[in-house]
Amino acid sequence: MQTDFDLFQAILDFVQNLDPEVYDAAFSYAAAMVLLVGLIALSRWQKIGITEKLIIGTARGTIQIILMALILLEIFALENLVLIFGLLIFMALFAAHTSRSNLDDIPGVFRAGAPAILVGGLTVMVISVLLGVVKPVGEYIIPMGGMVIGNAMGINSLVMERMWSNAQKQRSLMETALALGATPLQATNMTIRESIRSGLLPNLNRYASLGIVSIPGLMSGMIIGGTPVLAAALYQVIIFVMIFLACIVSGLIASRIFLQEMFNERAQITVPPPEA
Amino acid sequence: MSSGPILEMKGVSMSYGQRTLFKDFTLDLHRNEIIGISGESGSGKSTLLRIAVDLVTPTEGEIVFQGKDVKDWNPQELRKCIILVPQEASMFPGTVRDNLLWGLKIHDQDASDEELEAIMEEVNLSGEYLDRVAENLSGGEKQRIAIARALLLEPCGLLLDEPTSALDEKSTLAVEKTVKGLLESRDIGVLVVTHNREQAERFTDRVIEVTTGEEVYYNAD
Repeated sequence: MQTDFDLFQAILDFVQNLDPEVYDAAFSYAAAMVLLVGLIALSRWQKIGITEKLIIGTARGTIQIILMALILLEIFALENLVLIFGLLIFMALFAAHTSRSNLDDIPGVFRAGAPAILVGGLTVMVISVLLGVVKPVGEYIIPMGGMVIGNAMGINSLVMERMWSNAQKQRSLMETALALGATPLQATNMTIRESIRSGLLPNLNRYASLGIVSIPGLMSGMIIGGTPVLAAALYQVIIFVMIFLACIVSGLIASRIFLQEMFNERAQITVPPPEA
Repeated sequence: MSSGPILEMKGVSMSYGQRTLFKDFTLDLHRNEIIGISGESGSGKSTLLRIAVDLVTPTEGEIVFQGKDVKDWNPQELRKCIILVPQEASMFPGTVRDNLLWGLKIHDQDASDEELEAIMEEVNLSGEYLDRVAENLSGGEKQRIAIARALLLEPCGLLLDEPTSALDEKSTLAVEKTVKGLLESRDIGVLVVTHNREQAERFTDRVIEVTTGEEVYYNAD
């Protein structure tokens, strides 16, 4: 009983000692749930089919980001590169797992996505650190790595989803290519290029309107955190270049590995036709 | 030049689960010959053509192309020598010229404008079509472009899957004329799927029923 009382008192103390800004944010979070309800209603009405993912994603995302926030100061203070890149590897694997969860009706998404995000994301981060583009401390590597890995994950999901759905919806065109003696890569190259272009388009738009229409998150965060405005602006351009490189490298790698899920060794399509 | 068949299908059967499409199908295709494949809708005629170019593996049976089992062929080399033109005659994005060159480019080959115009003439289309957007052509024109695209690779066998099924009479006759002309201009064998008996008698040498494997028509001429 005494123990229960102590725990209750500890929680009470923690809540009472919270920064008033946390109360404000919690109120905003609660109010934002109204938007979420609207979003779910819209999704259900238009049969977009993301209701479950929205609800689970909100709950899971909130817990994940709070846990991350609680240890963020410790992570940002990291200077041990092995630990920092170990954390990036975990983030890349988690990104691949997330891709698989969102494309659960397509086989081999993790098998193709994990090596693609690892190689695409981490290679860019390692080269950036070696070139001195990114300071070798957690404060820089972790958030920038997170953006690079997050965008690589988005491209990978798009590439694999498009390749799979095109093999179903445009089967005749793909078969025509194979029937002319095309390799699986030649038969899908157009889809791969189009999906990488589509995946990069939102970021290309932000890149083109940088500073005029969009004030991206990294720059805003750095300015709020006390970084000189000019330095923050330059870092924003740097992160875009890193994101584009990582996206293209990981998209190309994922597409090559994913071909094994779509074709057998006789270059026959193994993707089942779409269900009627 | 060998007088043996270019394509041999020996005891070929195809089933999907419990459903048997056809059983013990046998066929020999020679150069300078057009064979028609007939059968009910859903009887596996299109599947048979896909099996011939190793796009589908049969449940049982042997496919021999130019004396060698298709399993021993590199799939890309095999499909360059014997080409399937699917029923839809799908066009790649771009112009007719882009489409004609598509097949050549994947094999690191190219063709001059004169060669493209010559192949267009062979399929009874003028060279003016080269710069048109392929997707905007009529069904009959697309079919002939698809045939021209295949012919540029100089195959010794051509497999046509219902090439006239969606065409009006005029376009049908144009495609038939093109296919018949190929036998005179090129030393190739043609396998054509058709469910139209009249058409089969008009322009094939013999017709084989896919389900029974029986020769249901033979043109003595």
